[in-house]
Amino acid sequence: MDLLTIFVAAILVNNFVLYYFLGICPFLGVSKKIDAAFSMGMAVTFVMSLTAVVSWMINHWVLIPFGLDYLQIVSFILVIASLVQLVEMFIRKMSPPLYQALGIYLPLITTNCAIMGLALLAALKDYNFIQTVVFGVGSGLGFTLAIVLMAGIREQLDLADVPEPLKGAGIALIVAGIMALAFSGFSGMIK
Amino acid sequence: MPPKKSLGAEYLKGLWDENPVFRQLLGMCPTLAVTNAVINGFAMGLATAFVLILSSLVVSSIKKLIPSQVRIATYIVIIASFVTIADRFLAAFFPPISKALGPYVPLIVVNCIILGRQEAFSSKNSIGRSLVDALGMSTGFILALLVLSSIRELLGAGTFLSYQVLGSWFKPWIIMILPAGAFITLGVLLGLAILIETKTKTRSS
Amino acid sequence: MSLSARMIVVLTVVGLVSGSLLAVVGLLTKDRIEMNRQQEIQTAISQVIPSTKTSQKIYEDDSLTVYESRNESKNAVGYAVYTSGTGFQDIITLMYGTDPSLSNIKDLTILEQKETPGLGAKITDQEAFLRYWKNRNCEQPLSLRKPAVDSPENLDPSEVNTITGATISSEKVLDIVNASLERLKAIKEQGKLSSEEKNAS
Repeated sequence: MDLLTIFVAAILVNNFVLYYFLGICPFLGVSKKIDAAFSMGMAVTFVMSLTAVVSWMINHWVLIPFGLDYLQIVSFILVIASLVQLVEMFIRKMSPPLYQALGIYLPLITTNCAIMGLALLAALKDYNFIQTVVFGVGSGLGFTLAIVLMAGIREQLDLADVPEPLKGAGIALIVAGIMALAFSGFSGMIK
Repeated sequence: MPPKKSLGAEYLKGLWDENPVFRQLLGMCPTLAVTNAVINGFAMGLATAFVLILSSLVVSSIKKLIPSQVRIATYIVIIASFVTIADRFLAAFFPPISKALGPYVPLIVVNCIILGRQEAFSSKNSIGRSLVDALGMSTGFILALLVLSSIRELLGAGTFLSYQVLGSWFKPWIIMILPAGAFITLGVLLGLAILIETKTKTRSS
Repeated sequence: MSLSARMIVVLTVVGLVSGSLLAVVGLLTKDRIEMNRQQEIQTAISQVIPSTKTSQKIYEDDSLTVYESRNESKNAVGYAVYTSGTGFQDIITLMYGTDPSLSNIKDLTILEQKETPGLGAKITDQEAFLRYWKNRNCEQPLSLRKPAVDSPENLDPSEVNTITGATISSEKVLDIVNASLERLKAIKEQGKLSSEEKNAS
């Protein structure tokens, strides 16, 4: 599979949120301001790209050569948890402004199923190293796109007359459904 | 600490008052992803229940030994081990279901319901109480998956557990099987849950 | 015991216990999972080349795997080709059987797909799609019949039918088959597709 296909598929056709249903919690919870959603998206993209690299190395240099594939889930989740910790410490030391922008979202990312999903999907799809990296960056950007669009819509939704019981998560999910429908229009665009 | 509930109440709270999906909005990813057919939703519910119950048992029995600084890491390792067992078991004995659920079985490891129950309940309560809590939450989760997947399979394919239920007059609503149908159905169900809750509250007060 | 020592001990013990538990589970399930995979391939091979008695993997690279199939009297009756490519929504994985000269497709089966339910997913349906793939002449690349016809007899030998409402999924399957056939012919030309020598020795 060529890299452009993987990249475009990850952003539009098989969007992480709207097609794989990964990262729903931050998608419903955090996104109400476009700026904040964008920062969150960038933090996720950053961690996803790193996760893609590290999980590929673990999978292909340790787990597969030594026949330890049954440790895949345990090692991926531990790697993600420690990676997020490291990134947080590193950014806090090296770039306080960046930490101000991204830092508060980082602890939330550990339990974000999108990150674990990325590591698992890349392994499942049997991508090589470059493909995995492209898939990681694309998936992160796809997540960002979905979460920013959602934030924009929810800013408007505050002014809309939504039935009382549907306020909050209910209407957010229905909006997500309509977005998923719109995104399904991208299906088949890849040759 | 609030007064202890009876064991029955501890179980029942998972079904409605603290239902993980409808009331706590936890575990949304698998809820949306695998409910396109009843059998998938049910298998997912059972696998999650297996992991949740066993993790709660282990965590509540070794809770005094775990230093609080490393408790999350310990919980994660315990949960991930049971997830691996569930994943392997399905792949070995139920390959079609394992294929249909794909990466969502390994993803049970990041299902917030499981880590959440360890942190909020099993680490503070006795083994018996944690077991009842885990059973209740599992039942609540399975029920939520069954409701959602029944609606989606029935309207999306006209079938229930692959048996044709609706006659040939019925034209399946394909959207219900698609991701969009998952989002919209769950959104409407959440609204209904809140509606029922407020209605019963106003009546009792 | 100091706190940090306790932390290390607890983490090590938990890690060791879970690691060894998983090693046991891994060992116990490994053969069975491998067997399931083999069985799936075997079933697919005998589906696309019904006269198959035994089969053997003779070629494998990133994009395709080829099995040579032999009948009861140990004569080579064709190749079963396992390959995948991008569909309308996600990856489509399929297998088809050819005769030994690569001029005829005997049959096709879809092993994995995530096309739209009710539309593109009909590529797994005998009635709607697969029956139009039996006995196709593939000396030249196959082509798609648009608009669809309602019986295999109305197709040219080198044509396959379109699913009404799912043209793209039908096209994608055709593209996957054509692309792999082209590669297969090149591989055969280079002489990398023969197991005869191996068997003779």
